[in-house]
Amino acid sequence: MKERINRSVLLTVLALLLAAPWLLPAVGFDYWLDILAEILIWSLFAASVNLLFGYVGLLSFGQALFFGMGMFGVAIGVAKLGLGFWPALGLGMVVAVATAAVAGALAVRLTWHYFAIITVVFSLIFYFIALSAKPLTGGDDGTSFSMPPMLTLGESELSLTDQTVQYLFILLVVGFAFFVKYLIVRSPFGMALMAVRENDVRASLIGLNVYFLRWIAFVVAGGFAGLAGCLFALFGRYASATYMFYHVSGEGVVWTIVGGAGTLFGPAIGAALLIVVREELSNMWEHYPILVGIVVILTVIFAPKGLMGMWNALLDRLASPSADGTKKDEGPREAIETAVAPVKGEAGP
Amino acid sequence: MLQIADLTKRFGGLVALDRVTLDFEANVLHAIIGPNGAGKTTLFNTISGMLRSDSGTVRFRGTDISGMAPHRISRLGMSRSLQIKSVFDSMTVAENLWIAAQAREGVMHPFSNRRRFGRTAARVDEILEQTGLEGLRASPAGTLSYGDVALLEIGIALATGPTLLLLDEPICGMGPAETESTVEKIRHLAESVDIIIIEHDMPVVFDLAEWITVMAQGGVLARGTPQDIAENAAVREAYLGDEDDDDEDGEGDGFDA
Repeated sequence: MKERINRSVLLTVLALLLAAPWLLPAVGFDYWLDILAEILIWSLFAASVNLLFGYVGLLSFGQALFFGMGMFGVAIGVAKLGLGFWPALGLGMVVAVATAAVAGALAVRLTWHYFAIITVVFSLIFYFIALSAKPLTGGDDGTSFSMPPMLTLGESELSLTDQTVQYLFILLVVGFAFFVKYLIVRSPFGMALMAVRENDVRASLIGLNVYFLRWIAFVVAGGFAGLAGCLFALFGRYASATYMFYHVSGEGVVWTIVGGAGTLFGPAIGAALLIVVREELSNMWEHYPILVGIVVILTVIFAPKGLMGMWNALLDRLASPSADGTKKDEGPREAIETAVAPVKGEAGP
Repeated sequence: MLQIADLTKRFGGLVALDRVTLDFEANVLHAIIGPNGAGKTTLFNTISGMLRSDSGTVRFRGTDISGMAPHRISRLGMSRSLQIKSVFDSMTVAENLWIAAQAREGVMHPFSNRRRFGRTAARVDEILEQTGLEGLRASPAGTLSYGDVALLEIGIALATGPTLLLLDEPICGMGPAETESTVEKIRHLAESVDIIIIEHDMPVVFDLAEWITVMAQGGVLARGTPQDIAENAAVREAYLGDEDDDDEDGEGDGFDA
């Protein structure tokens, strides 16, 4: 029953997202289409944090680095190199993935707090490089560019300057990325990642190359963050080093934890919720991050599996209204989907 | 099958393994015994690649595996269980076995559904039957009793299709009935896989082992058949001398049997 309900919720949300460019103006909320696009992009960014933290057990505070690399790849590609839409997008991805491959080779030698610290350090190093490389990145001012067309057919051209086209393009790319993440999670590779998360010593003893698996996951996660950065650059026609700062990485971690680490859509839900809170509250109350802090603390204490974990637990309870003890033997089939193992501390002896 | 030559491992000033030279023959069920701190687990850790030795060599079926990474040694067909039981806690019993079996087949299939790997699924069913864990296949490993976790440890080690199984105190934490059935399982396994077992329970060791190695203070004290070992004066002294008083497991019992 749980799978059925979750599937119908997912399909409904997907249908609403697809219809949003026509639905929102109809109810007089035109302005929300851009916020929705932004939420989609940041969901993808949170998915990057989640792939590392939720599935491999590596808490990264450096994902903003790859986000920023994607942004600058696109912006510099268009503004400085005169690239078209697709080549610029490609450049952003290549730059982000290459950075992740190099940084990852060093970072995944470490785990836990050491790993978290080195990801912050990497992100700071590149932040200051981006700030000081003024001729290339624009320094404090960043790099802005004008949108090249996505597709030109004779007279007519398709471009993200059309708000609806832009939104649907972002939805399509983010949806595709989440589909790839879904494939990864249910594959043998995804299971190997979870084994590494659960117990890296045991994983190496059954013949898994723990270092290599962590590195691949780091590169894929860097690709997700980079793709989000590319989209955000296209969305804002702009790249800035501020998005490389570890503060941005921290937001991704917060969204992931609140939504539910180690679940497919938890981070997207966390991102959506907290961005809406920001949009609604930041104008009224400048200290609204206090509220976000309280939400995070409450989540960690009362719902360590995040909102998605709470939702799944609720569905489990509805599915078996009898006392809790009776359904023990069936065992939760979704144990992996909902588990947040990294919280339990160092694995293995 | 397994040749260890001059293997030395130091932890700071402590010499955990002192130029250990041992040769384990194939098709013989080996046991390693010795007082706590004798270096038994350190020996396993060094053989399986979890620890790097300071000097000496380990050869496994003709391949020099000294200094090799654990996953590469595992792929050569050596599998081990850990003294402090450790499995994949939030994964189910079946998933624990599945990933161990698939580790040998290759896990770099990032886009294919894991349900499509029929051979691995068949292997999981086989191991579930062998270990008697069928009833618990869908339970998260973290919810199992201590004895069942110990069985799952053996199952995970088996799922990788090893030719040599290193078992570190496999029956630790089991009740009498579980112990008996596990001993039978190990005896049965020994028909198809080489086994080296570290065990503190002397009746079990003397019942199971065909060849016993006694370690003490990082070195090899004696080797021989259970009969030889039971009659060996140096062994009796090592155990009865100062270890017997604080002995909780009844280690000395075997010598009287």
